[in-house]
Amino acid sequence: GDSWGMLACLCTVLWQLPAVPALNRTGDPGPGPSIQKTYDLTRYLEHQLRSLAGTYLNYLGPPFNEPDFNPPRLGVETLPKATVNLEVWRSLNDKLRLTQNYEAYSHLLCYLRGLNRQAATAELRRSLAHFCTSLQGLLGSIAGVMAALGYPLPQPLPGTEPTWAPGPAHSDFLQKMDDFWLLKELQTWLWRSAKDFNRLKKKMQPPATAVTLHLEARGF
Amino acid sequence: MAAPVPWACCAVLAAAAAVVYAQRHSPQETPHVQYERLGSDVTLPCGTASWDAAVTWRVNGTDLAPDLLNGSQLVLRSLELGHGGLYACFHRDSWHLRHQVLLHVGLPPREPVLSCRSNTYPKGFYCSWHLPTPTYIPNTFNVTVLHGSKIMVCEKDPAVKNRCHIRYMHLFSTVKYKVSISVSNALGHNATAITFDEFTIVKPDPPENVVARPVPSNPRRLEVTWQTPSTWPDPESFPLKFFLRYRPLILDQWQHVELSDGTAHTITDAYAGKEYIIQVAAKDNEIGTWSDWSVAAHATPWTEEPRHLTTEAQAPETTTSTTSSLAPPPTTKICDPGELGSGGATSAPSFVSVPVTLALAAAATTASSLLI
Repeated sequence: GDSWGMLACLCTVLWQLPAVPALNRTGDPGPGPSIQKTYDLTRYLEHQLRSLAGTYLNYLGPPFNEPDFNPPRLGVETLPKATVNLEVWRSLNDKLRLTQNYEAYSHLLCYLRGLNRQAATAELRRSLAHFCTSLQGLLGSIAGVMAALGYPLPQPLPGTEPTWAPGPAHSDFLQKMDDFWLLKELQTWLWRSAKDFNRLKKKMQPPATAVTLHLEARGF
Repeated sequence: MAAPVPWACCAVLAAAAAVVYAQRHSPQETPHVQYERLGSDVTLPCGTASWDAAVTWRVNGTDLAPDLLNGSQLVLRSLELGHGGLYACFHRDSWHLRHQVLLHVGLPPREPVLSCRSNTYPKGFYCSWHLPTPTYIPNTFNVTVLHGSKIMVCEKDPAVKNRCHIRYMHLFSTVKYKVSISVSNALGHNATAITFDEFTIVKPDPPENVVARPVPSNPRRLEVTWQTPSTWPDPESFPLKFFLRYRPLILDQWQHVELSDGTAHTITDAYAGKEYIIQVAAKDNEIGTWSDWSVAAHATPWTEEPRHLTTEAQAPETTTSTTSSLAPPPTTKICDPGELGSGGATSAPSFVSVPVTLALAAAATTASSLLI
């Protein structure tokens, strides 16, 4: 059915992200630390998303919150899809890898903000708002890495509507399906980004120092 | 006139003899194969013989008692596995073989147990299955793998029975995989299916070649090294993190260390002179579950007096003046030679190296836990 996501979701705020100034080249540690920071942010967000998604799916109710729920992907939503052919993913150049991540999260953030507008309970709105802020931080971090490597930030296509507008109303169930896929795609993107930034990290910097956590616990 | 009659007679007799000979010695007709359920009753008719025909039944060449017969039919009650075999019925007088049945006793299949795992992420995953209880007769399995609506090929494993492999075409998919298996045999049919996300089944093999070595001049250190499992195809892009656990053989409580990088670690708080058992597990940094524990490595930290092997009995506690402090052995000792060596999960031979008093203490705790 027609979903509010059918229209390209472009938020003015995102595309007007202030240009991140290029890092001072002399003596700078390179993009390594900001890649690590971006990687860490994806882990943090993935962790945050787990509880957020659980709460939100419970709010949607069955069957969306059932672990076996396995609907066919109708493909009508215009969500950025993380899935990619294995060989294609492996051979992505750095610029494309970063661009795909940036564009994906820009769109996902926009959709999430739309979700927030409709969320029924104040608690949900609070959680979503918090998550949106963190996701904004991730976007900024990716932008920083791109700037450090000298890649231009992707710009919106000319002629597209800069503001978000809801599409024609459609059934409650289909709306919930869209919400379900949004959260699923977001989670998958965060897993993919971790792998993307791992790859970038390995290419850019010396091996990371081992982090040792000493735990004394009975059994494991 | 009279002369041709004897010739015709001889010809007929010869033909009849030939037929009888052929019937007695002809290659066995292919026995009728029959499958019957364990515990059921079965009646085997003697081919097309009439009910009141006089026949004898044999199983695997041994005569069967006539009280099992119902007319010319053989009745077997409450079939057991031992009832399986080649049953043959013969015409009682001529011993002409009338019919053969190859009887197999078994069960219809119960619901199969199916599990899938990816120890070669991102190359692919494999699925394994088995039946919870045996059927005692041949079963055929049919596995289908669906990714959304797309059918994927599951290639049979050349070496391992009941296993097949699927190759990932796409990574980072939001669509679940559904693996269905159906099993059937002559007595019945069953099936099951599982659905899962790409990430949930990722579980590497345990780390390989775990080696622990003492560090010279360091009585409290042990150096541990290992390798990423050889089945993990791309540790560069899909790095593994590791979990190390270690304890002296004489204690039950493990120490744990989680390592996000590298394949080596130095333990710095080992009890001097005590033999340690060390194991490592692996996990993809972000997705899936921990591997099983690796094969255990054993090592004893360096001690001042050089020793060659750790299997020799060590000197009594009083000579070691280091800071190692273990709980004193309990005052009540179970001095039963049969209890010694019946220690816990660790390998038995290493028990020998522990001082006698502490071995008794460990044996005491083991014994008391066995009594619970």
